[in-house]
Amino acid sequence: MMRRSLAPALLLILVGCSGSGQRVPVPEVEEAWKTSAAGRAERRAYDGAPPVIPHEPLGTACTACHNSDGIFVAEIGYAPASPHALTPGLSLESRCQQCHVFQRTQETFADSRFEGAKRVSQLGARMYAGAPPTMPHGHFMREDCVSCHAGPAAREGIRTTHPERTRCGQCHAQSEVKGDFAR
Amino acid sequence: MNRRTLLKSVGLGAAGVAAHSCSSRDEAQRLLDGQADRLNAEGLGAQDLTWSKAPCRYCGTGCGVEVGVHDNRVMAVRGDPLSPVNRGLLCVKGYHLPGLLYGKDRLTHPLRRQESGRLQRISWDEAIDLIAQRFQETLDQHGPEAVGMYGSGQWTVFDGYAALKWVKAGMRSNNVDPNARLCMASAVMGFMTQFQSDEPMGCYEDFEEGDDFVLWGANMAEMHPVLFSRILEHKRTDPSVRLIDIATRRTPTSDYADLYVEFQPGTDLALANGILHLLIEEGRIDKAFIKENLTFRRGIEDLERIGYGCRGENAESYTFRDQARESSLDEIRRLLADYAPDETARITGVSPEQIKALAKLYGDSQRGTVSLWCMGVNQHVRGTWMNNLITDLHLITGKIGRPGANPFSLTGQPSACGTCREVGTFGHRLPADMVVTNPEHRAKTEEIWGVEAGTIPAKPGYHTVDMFRALVRGDLRALWIQVTNPWVTLPHLSRYQRKPGDGRFVVVSDIYPTPTTDCADLILPSAAWVEREGMFGNTERRTQHWDKAIEPPGEAREDALQIIQVAKRMGYDKLFPWPENDWHRAMYEEYRKFTLGVGKDLASYDQLRRARGLLWPVIDGKETRYRYAAGFDPYVKKSRGVHFYKAKGYGERAAFWFRPFHPPAESPDAEYPFWLCTGRILEHWHTGSMTRRTKQLHQAASEAYMEVHPLDARKLGLGDGDQARISSRRGQLDLPVRIEGRGKPPRGTVFVPFFDEDQLINLLTLDAMDNISKEPDFKKCAVRIERTS
Repeated sequence: MMRRSLAPALLLILVGCSGSGQRVPVPEVEEAWKTSAAGRAERRAYDGAPPVIPHEPLGTACTACHNSDGIFVAEIGYAPASPHALTPGLSLESRCQQCHVFQRTQETFADSRFEGAKRVSQLGARMYAGAPPTMPHGHFMREDCVSCHAGPAAREGIRTTHPERTRCGQCHAQSEVKGDFAR
Repeated sequence: MNRRTLLKSVGLGAAGVAAHSCSSRDEAQRLLDGQADRLNAEGLGAQDLTWSKAPCRYCGTGCGVEVGVHDNRVMAVRGDPLSPVNRGLLCVKGYHLPGLLYGKDRLTHPLRRQESGRLQRISWDEAIDLIAQRFQETLDQHGPEAVGMYGSGQWTVFDGYAALKWVKAGMRSNNVDPNARLCMASAVMGFMTQFQSDEPMGCYEDFEEGDDFVLWGANMAEMHPVLFSRILEHKRTDPSVRLIDIATRRTPTSDYADLYVEFQPGTDLALANGILHLLIEEGRIDKAFIKENLTFRRGIEDLERIGYGCRGENAESYTFRDQARESSLDEIRRLLADYAPDETARITGVSPEQIKALAKLYGDSQRGTVSLWCMGVNQHVRGTWMNNLITDLHLITGKIGRPGANPFSLTGQPSACGTCREVGTFGHRLPADMVVTNPEHRAKTEEIWGVEAGTIPAKPGYHTVDMFRALVRGDLRALWIQVTNPWVTLPHLSRYQRKPGDGRFVVVSDIYPTPTTDCADLILPSAAWVEREGMFGNTERRTQHWDKAIEPPGEAREDALQIIQVAKRMGYDKLFPWPENDWHRAMYEEYRKFTLGVGKDLASYDQLRRARGLLWPVIDGKETRYRYAAGFDPYVKKSRGVHFYKAKGYGERAAFWFRPFHPPAESPDAEYPFWLCTGRILEHWHTGSMTRRTKQLHQAASEAYMEVHPLDARKLGLGDGDQARISSRRGQLDLPVRIEGRGKPPRGTVFVPFFDEDQLINLLTLDAMDNISKEPDFKKCAVRIERTS
């Protein structure tokens, strides 16, 4: 609670120090903290599958680190925020292991021919240069935009420049349904 | 604070600010509402996936999924947000469904075992000829009681209906039984003995409507995860909601419980009676409801007379039949005097305070109570009795037939209800709750099937355990097994070892090699899940249809079609008069005739193809959420609150049964001092033949283990991960020890999952059975634990 209320003040300090109001202030973090596109794919059976847990069991509640903000964990890196705080039917009190499991071995029982659908990088379309991009993916299960688009764990390239703006859908429209309207 | 630390906290803060000020649930919901037509949406980048609906292949919950196909391959799934079951959510098994289709060792061609034991590829034509010939020979030489089919709660409605017709109307045998006999047969007999109709009265909406949720021996967090998440969300939004976990070991479910009640294995019977005793003595019962809606019954209660089906003259064939007699509330009140709190506490190990708390909870007329149970109650030597007692708690308090107040039996398999129970693929059953022992039921079935009167025999066929005992004895000589893996799942497995060439003929249809295909003379490759058209019926009476989405691999064929082709080869063309490329609709509409007008009314084929499943009875196109309840059930007149109109034999009343406490068949002693409980885990479906071939699931849980209490482990000199030997009077295994794992058994109890075909825990289990349902008890036998190193 304390940390949350201090955060805006710290943000102002940083912006003041760096003299830059244009770019989101991201600390210099080790590469290991960030999720690369390859690392992201490695943890998922297909794009849209829940990622497996990439670390050992730590003997604590998942939400101790993967809370609504995410936290820095010494020696491991940055625990991304849970994107499910706003998912209808889920909350931070849901049972994470309903969907996310540890990998306790690297062996397989039998070889598989399964090929999962891959995420192909695509940017949200803009109507004209300078227009806000539309959302290039659905957001069921990831309603909390900033859990991926802000914070040290956010991948380069998908970081928002303006995490302080609060209602993403105000400017970024859904573009999941293809095709044009016609009477 | 140096610059680096400062930066870290600031980065964190930025995310925090945005996350909290940005978001509200309403906003999230509003955005989601904008994408209601997600089925036709494309969300996967350049991948050109085509999406279609299907129910999940795994458990009885029946989650709706959307299957993403590209170039005849399933490449993704997602939870179907339009499904009223799961509302877009899935569990880890559901998300990894595509893995079950793509193991490299998929069976793709019929394989016949040579005398040498080696498998030789043969054509479908040869395979069908061989089955028809061997079954016909057996019929000619040994009669219809020597042939049989063993199926599954994972059979589609089509598969089960084809099997029932082939066996009962074609071969004139009643020897068809499903693995559901090992799974929810006790729930069936619970419903039948009390309501004379086999169905739950409530539906999943109970999970948002109830106030108190009482789990009787059910680890819902792992076995019904999506339904459990519905309860958790209800509990989060309404803090007055309580979850009570009545169990014999702590599980991930217990972590969320407001009250954890631990009882000695098998003594749940005494605990339920203890609660009933207090409810009646303290007057916490609904007298008006009782007067209008209940009748009282007792059965045979003599332990010596009933037995357990695993010893003496019952050890080969267990055919005990219960006999009902009328009773009264006064008589039952006197009988329940044996279960006063102190005595119940002595039997169960549950404190008198907890027993009183449970009675207060069930007796609180202001709160809706939902009781939930699954294998802990069903796989029980008195499982039908335990089903009766849980329902008794609801009957005597009038907490039944209305939203948020119901006994609700959870089922394990995706179509245990839709196929085994509703189609009736048991030795004693026919469609829509009919039985072979009733001449009118046989006549109605023969009429719909267009076969001559007297075709269906009146004597029930073997129940599962007796079926395999008969196979070993040689009384059953030709057996076809589909969609199940009995040489992993039967209790006291060492009784059923067989070698091909022993004069029996065993056919196994499956999608992968398993210990069961190892025992087969002929192996047939089946089409799986969305490789064929199908229909499942889930726990809440929801029938769900799916279209074929991809071609099966190699020459794999749909199970129902395999049966149809064999039946035709045997000359039973009349039973399956439909063209082989277009028969699903016609077969379903024929089956549907059984259900119309008897309160089991299924929706039409066309309606089911469009809907995200429908809860039967479907009358005038509308589904029914709550049975027996005025305003919900179209068969109930508006003037009556609740009307158990199906129980004709009880004067249209529900039967309250007195059922006493009987001890388990085998209890720990000096030589075998531990209880053994077996079961499933979240990541694996049953025997793991599908889930172990899914990388993410296998890597999460790759081998069986034995959960041991830390003090027991210390006494035995065992540490976490050590190998230890577990042995019963029937067999032994060496397993790694797990201490303080996901399940935490109390002292004196160990738990071993059964998914691992390399570590067959059923070599140790006992083939003791429920006296009424003949469902084996996989939850209680005595074992010894020793260090091996």
